[in-house]
Amino acid sequence: MADIQKNELLKGTLDMLVLQTLSVQPLHGYGIAQQIEVLSDDALRVEQGSLYPALERLQKKGWITSKWGESPTGRRARYYTITAAGRRQLGNEISSFDAMLVAINRVLRRT
Amino acid sequence: MSLIDSIRYRLRVFTRPRDHETELAEDMEFFVSSEARARAHESRGALGDADARSAARRRFGNSTYYREEARRVSGLTVLDTLAQDVRFALRTFARTPMFIAIAVSTLAIGIGANTAIFSAVDTLLLRPLPFKEPNRLMNVALSIPASPRGPGRDDLVWSYPKIEAFRAAQNVFGDLTAWFSMQFTVRIDDEAERISGEFIDSRYFPTLGITPVVGRAMLGSEDRVGGPRVAVISDALWRGMFNANPSVLGQPLDVDGTIFTIIGVAPPEFSGVSGVARFWIPFFNPPAAWGIANLLTDNNAFYLIGRLAPGITPERAASISREIGSRIDAQFPEHGANVRHWGVVAHTLDDTRVDDYVRRTLAMLFGAVGMVLLVACANVASLFLVRAASRRREIAVRLAIGASRSRLVRQLMVESLLLAVFGGIASLVVAWVGVHIISAAQPVLWGGQSPSGIGTVTADPIQLNFTALAFTGTIAIVTGLLFGVIPAIQSTRSTLTDSLRVESGSSQQSRISRRVSMRDVLTMFEIALAVVLLATSGVLVRTLANLIAVRPGFEPSGVLTMRVNRAPAWSRDSISRFYDVAVDRLRSLPGVTEVAIADCAPQGGACTGMGVHLPDRPERAPVGVGVHWITSDWNAVMRVPLVRGRLIEPSDRKGTPFVVLVSETAAQTLWPGEDPLGKTVVLESGSDTARVVGVVGDVRFRGIQSRPMAEIFMSYYQQPMSYRMMVHLRTSRDPVLVAEAARRVLREVARGFPVYDIATLEQRIGGALGQARFLAQLLSLFAVLALVLATIGTYGVISYGVAQRTREMGVRIALGATARDVIRLVVGQGVALAVVGGTIGMAGAIVATRSIQTRLYDVPAADPVTLGGIVVLLALAVLAASWIPARRAASVPAVQALRGG
Repeated sequence: MADIQKNELLKGTLDMLVLQTLSVQPLHGYGIAQQIEVLSDDALRVEQGSLYPALERLQKKGWITSKWGESPTGRRARYYTITAAGRRQLGNEISSFDAMLVAINRVLRRT
Repeated sequence: MSLIDSIRYRLRVFTRPRDHETELAEDMEFFVSSEARARAHESRGALGDADARSAARRRFGNSTYYREEARRVSGLTVLDTLAQDVRFALRTFARTPMFIAIAVSTLAIGIGANTAIFSAVDTLLLRPLPFKEPNRLMNVALSIPASPRGPGRDDLVWSYPKIEAFRAAQNVFGDLTAWFSMQFTVRIDDEAERISGEFIDSRYFPTLGITPVVGRAMLGSEDRVGGPRVAVISDALWRGMFNANPSVLGQPLDVDGTIFTIIGVAPPEFSGVSGVARFWIPFFNPPAAWGIANLLTDNNAFYLIGRLAPGITPERAASISREIGSRIDAQFPEHGANVRHWGVVAHTLDDTRVDDYVRRTLAMLFGAVGMVLLVACANVASLFLVRAASRRREIAVRLAIGASRSRLVRQLMVESLLLAVFGGIASLVVAWVGVHIISAAQPVLWGGQSPSGIGTVTADPIQLNFTALAFTGTIAIVTGLLFGVIPAIQSTRSTLTDSLRVESGSSQQSRISRRVSMRDVLTMFEIALAVVLLATSGVLVRTLANLIAVRPGFEPSGVLTMRVNRAPAWSRDSISRFYDVAVDRLRSLPGVTEVAIADCAPQGGACTGMGVHLPDRPERAPVGVGVHWITSDWNAVMRVPLVRGRLIEPSDRKGTPFVVLVSETAAQTLWPGEDPLGKTVVLESGSDTARVVGVVGDVRFRGIQSRPMAEIFMSYYQQPMSYRMMVHLRTSRDPVLVAEAARRVLREVARGFPVYDIATLEQRIGGALGQARFLAQLLSLFAVLALVLATIGTYGVISYGVAQRTREMGVRIALGATARDVIRLVVGQGVALAVVGGTIGMAGAIVATRSIQTRLYDVPAADPVTLGGIVVLLALAVLAASWIPARRAASVPAVQALRGG
């Protein structure tokens, strides 16, 4: 049961990280994974494949869209772009995440 | 816009699922190869391509899992897994074809029979009458209380003067219309056709809320004697005879030889209150042959329909009508010794749309067929329970491997719904056949006129309709869900260890026994219901047999009857001349051997009931008898035997002493223990004193199911009956062949006499027997179905029990039990079910048969023959149901059983 809860937490976090990454520029899946690893300093080491369910979920919500393009190496790659709704969602998630962090820290008496 | 993006995404997933998947795979492949290339690059050649790639794969994780996850997220899977569930269910079905066949046919029978009966109920009772706001319409009728002359009635037709009195006195109906339906001869060009029409007044169309689509209806100013002869025709007549020509207005319509002017065309689908009318003409100005004076004075023919005034409830209208009834009774007093007091009753038109007998028949059939459905459902339920139990191991394994519980429940629900759908489809076939059977029986069963003269609902053939279809669908789905969900939830509730242990039969006794008892209860319930149906159909079959065995007192085969009504122009004196001529001419027809005229044919009820005084016993109150007018050959035509004395002779004419014949029952009732010959009677209506000259055999005039009653016969020549005549022809060949010629002769002899209601005596008896036969057949069918279903249910439960106890049987056999012991054990289980279920059923059966007691003939409600027969049948059924499982149990090799089957 503990595993499941961890996954649930990660799922929400992963969504947020993907949106954050895409808010800078459109990227293909591999690019997103690399960015997240770099940004999180490898702290959030999850299996890379878990990115794909997240990408489908975000598309379904209409927060990102995808389009096939050409990678710098000349191969066909699918590029993901954040939508306006995605940016709004990102803002919401960051602020509620911040609020939660504050709350957790307060509970843990770290402030 | 997130919404648009979202919808575009979903649409793509839905419309091009394959593209979506290959793109997902391509994207993932791009990811892995990019990672592999990066790793190879980082290692500066230390990693081979293959190694780099497998490292990348490890880093990526289980790609199949993530693809599945992505698919699930994308929403593709709902449809996908549904298709999967259906495919899986079908495969499961294919593995157990017997189970599926039984379950589907069980559902088909239960639901199909219900749909068929529901179609009839809907057509006859539920469908709104085709008038505007039909619930505001009431049928107003005359009533008489019960008297020695007959039972009370509240469905009698009006004479016009009484209608006028009622109309003047009432204030509860906004509109009132008088009408009655008739057969007319309509002549167009050279073709004459007998078609139905209605005599109406100008309030008819407004009261019903019907407006002609072409032209107009009658005007109030035309409601007068000597007014214009106008007609509204039906859509059918308009299309059939006038090719839907819009210039039909003003054209002539020849009705019974008189020209009417067409002023309007009724809307399609409207065929009058009678349901068969093709045109409407005013009774104030009937065809010349009818004679207006007769129509509007002593003619009891009118039905009266009222539309409630605003704010008046049907109850209030009924009570006001009752009050006015007593005033009308005072205004039109009856004369004679036994004065009856007439009343007025008002019922909503809907209540009177079908005869009470039909209504109760339908209720009975609906109850019976509902029981069949209950049995079917119980059967399917117990089949599912048995099946679920036998699949517990499979389900436990699937749970253990990681199938989610909700997914399993859904799978099981899909199975049962699918089964319900199959059952529903198959039931349509059953329903279609059933509806045809009922429609075929319709003329017999619903043939009588309803108390309000409404034919609208009965004229329609009963069809499998949309409502019935929806009804079937609902039953099918509810049944499916009910019996899918309960076992489904039950079988997934157990944990792995639970079911595996149960499967090995070592523990969980309490759980098993609880389940078993639920199945047992279902089976006993089935048996009980089957017994109720068997008992009901049993007494009805016995009634039918008794009725068939009844000797009606006359010989019905080879006799044709037709009704002739006196034309108004004929006086009482000239009518005896008509008898002579008519009888002579008819007798000379080829194929006709004897001819007689009587006022009524048997089976149509006694036309006239009357009290008689006995002059030599002045102290005795008048005795009610049936009075009949006959001509001298009546006994010969009907083969009614002379018991004593003499028959009526042609010489018994006006001016000779008044003589009568009495039936044997009349002789015993009036003069018990005495010689009736030479005794005298005086009819209550104030006749001369008549002398009894002969005693004849009893005739069951009121239907074969009612006992012979006291009847008195007199000659038409001595006491002319004013208007009613039924011509009886005994023929040497098929009486139907003579009908047309006889009708032609009567037309010639009596120009303007309506000739109608032509039927053989056998047809008239058949009509009476037909109802009994129809009920007995249908209920027997239901009962047999219920018994078969209950037998299958018993078989299922017992064979399941045997399968569960294989090990126990093995132990018993190993310890020395003989095959006979084992068989006795298993059969004993079936017998126990039958005894408990049967006992409950017997109690229910006695209640059920008592409620239909009025339909039984010479059979007690708790009929020992029927009940005894049921015990035998039940014993056979249970033996059949438990014999095969018992044999199987007895043949279990001990070693195999001990190893765990």
